[in-house]
Amino acid sequence: MTFATQLAVVARLDLAEVRRSRWLASCLIVHFLLAAAFVLVGLRESSVLGFTGMGRALMSLSHALVFLLPLLALVATAQVVNGARDDGTLELLLSHPVSRRGWFAGTTLLRLCALVAPLLVAMPIMAIVGSLAFGQDIPWSYLARTLLVGTSLLACYTAIGLWISTFVRNQAKALMLAVLAWAASVAFLDFGLVGMMLQWRLPPASVFSIAALNPVQCARLALLSAAQPELSTFGPVGFWLANRVGTVGLFAIGIGWPLLLGLTTWTHAQARFCRRDLL
Amino acid sequence: MRVELKNVCKRFGKFAALQDVTLAFASGSRTALVGPNGSGKSTLVRMLMGMLEGDGELTLDGLDPAQRRQELAPRIAYVPQVAPRLWANVRDLVRATVGLRGGTESRVVEIAAQLGLDLEAVALRPFRALSGGMRQKALAATALASAADLLILDEPTASMDPRSRATFHRLLDDLPQRPTVLLCSHRLEEIRRHVDSVVELAEGKIAWQGASRDWLEAHSECVVELRTVDQRAGEWLALRGFCRVRSDWWQLAVPTAQRAALVSEVIRELDDAVLDLLARDLESAEPQAVPL
Repeated sequence: MTFATQLAVVARLDLAEVRRSRWLASCLIVHFLLAAAFVLVGLRESSVLGFTGMGRALMSLSHALVFLLPLLALVATAQVVNGARDDGTLELLLSHPVSRRGWFAGTTLLRLCALVAPLLVAMPIMAIVGSLAFGQDIPWSYLARTLLVGTSLLACYTAIGLWISTFVRNQAKALMLAVLAWAASVAFLDFGLVGMMLQWRLPPASVFSIAALNPVQCARLALLSAAQPELSTFGPVGFWLANRVGTVGLFAIGIGWPLLLGLTTWTHAQARFCRRDLL
Repeated sequence: MRVELKNVCKRFGKFAALQDVTLAFASGSRTALVGPNGSGKSTLVRMLMGMLEGDGELTLDGLDPAQRRQELAPRIAYVPQVAPRLWANVRDLVRATVGLRGGTESRVVEIAAQLGLDLEAVALRPFRALSGGMRQKALAATALASAADLLILDEPTASMDPRSRATFHRLLDDLPQRPTVLLCSHRLEEIRRHVDSVVELAEGKIAWQGASRDWLEAHSECVVELRTVDQRAGEWLALRGFCRVRSDWWQLAVPTAQRAALVSEVIRELDDAVLDLLARDLESAEPQAVPL
């Protein structure tokens, strides 16, 4: 039995679960609603941070997505392994010639696709619709930047969600931990950290380093790296980082760090899943 | 497939699920694994399928299932007691199973039909939308259709109706490849019909091991019923543990092995006071009259 066949079988069976949960449809609706809201209210002649019209709408949308995508990914994956273990699916599937590695990889692949596909579909469609409706040019490079950053962020948080579902056996606890992970990611942005820095007189370099380790912060800075690297635009952490690595470096970190963190987390989760007792 | 366990232990934290279990099942043998809930049956079954690792030596045809699961899995078929509630439709599940194990979809459909399940009719329904019995039939059909060398059946007919149960028994008897069968069941009829030996587990240890005939004799029960209108006889019966079930009928359930002794005792003590005496196996609906 080839690894590819195992992947295909697992993904096909899991697709029914994904379709049943209407995850694809839900993601699409959320993306479209969000995009529609920003396109409708954002396509004005006002200028924000150098972005105007469609650019402004896209920038607002991409920033909303940076906060939303981790939550979607965590909620979609934090109950995958423990859920399959609880309802007997894992026991049945692994009584067949499916390797643990094959099951884990197939499930990951399908869940990631289910999260990324709506983003790749909704963003360009809304940009084109907005452009046709309001006659404005589409900032393709910024759109591509947003899709890359969004995909990297989804990969990172899909891995974190699977890690949680592998380590936490209780599904309710896993979901709670996923929400806490999301809250921590959102909280460890500039405002939270700068508050900590001032409160406990922490060295700025260490606070900025912690902030730079947060994938959500990295993604936000990667999106902003298209703009002028000013303190008012980036915030203190972004400004500190941009002065050290430059805007191109900032973009590379914004894509690379979530991917690296995701890959490391996923590898650890998979190793644990393959090594330990299944049930 | 030959199954061997030598001093197998499995702990979950402080709880010892299996303690020093040593067993051997010859290729083609049929063994029942019995014991109360939490006695270690499921743990043992999962270790055989390579899903749990423990201490000691466990081999299937000389291979460690935890290390060589991929190699052994195509040769093992499993029917769980409770079929998982998958959202995948029935056709996808059957195709996946056939794709992973080999065999043909038509053979699965044929066996399912014999068990009373029309797979074509429910092909597009989510597996979880089927009743418990239908799900169990579908999984039993995929297991019986595979040319497995080891069949692990965990209460395989628990949710089936009597007719399907009888068909399942017949199909199991007629398997051409004569696989090693490990049956977790509390149904005496299944143990009587399908297995040669019984292993009884209690608190993770082997509590009893031997021929199924001996186990059945010790564990099957029968009911002795008698009718008397004599008051003195009624007093004696009450003291002996009989219950009054109708106006002048009395009843006591005893292990089958003690039936003859009880009947002799009743005849000796009550003699002419007994108007009717019946003894029936608890598995059988038909009472057998005992000649007075």
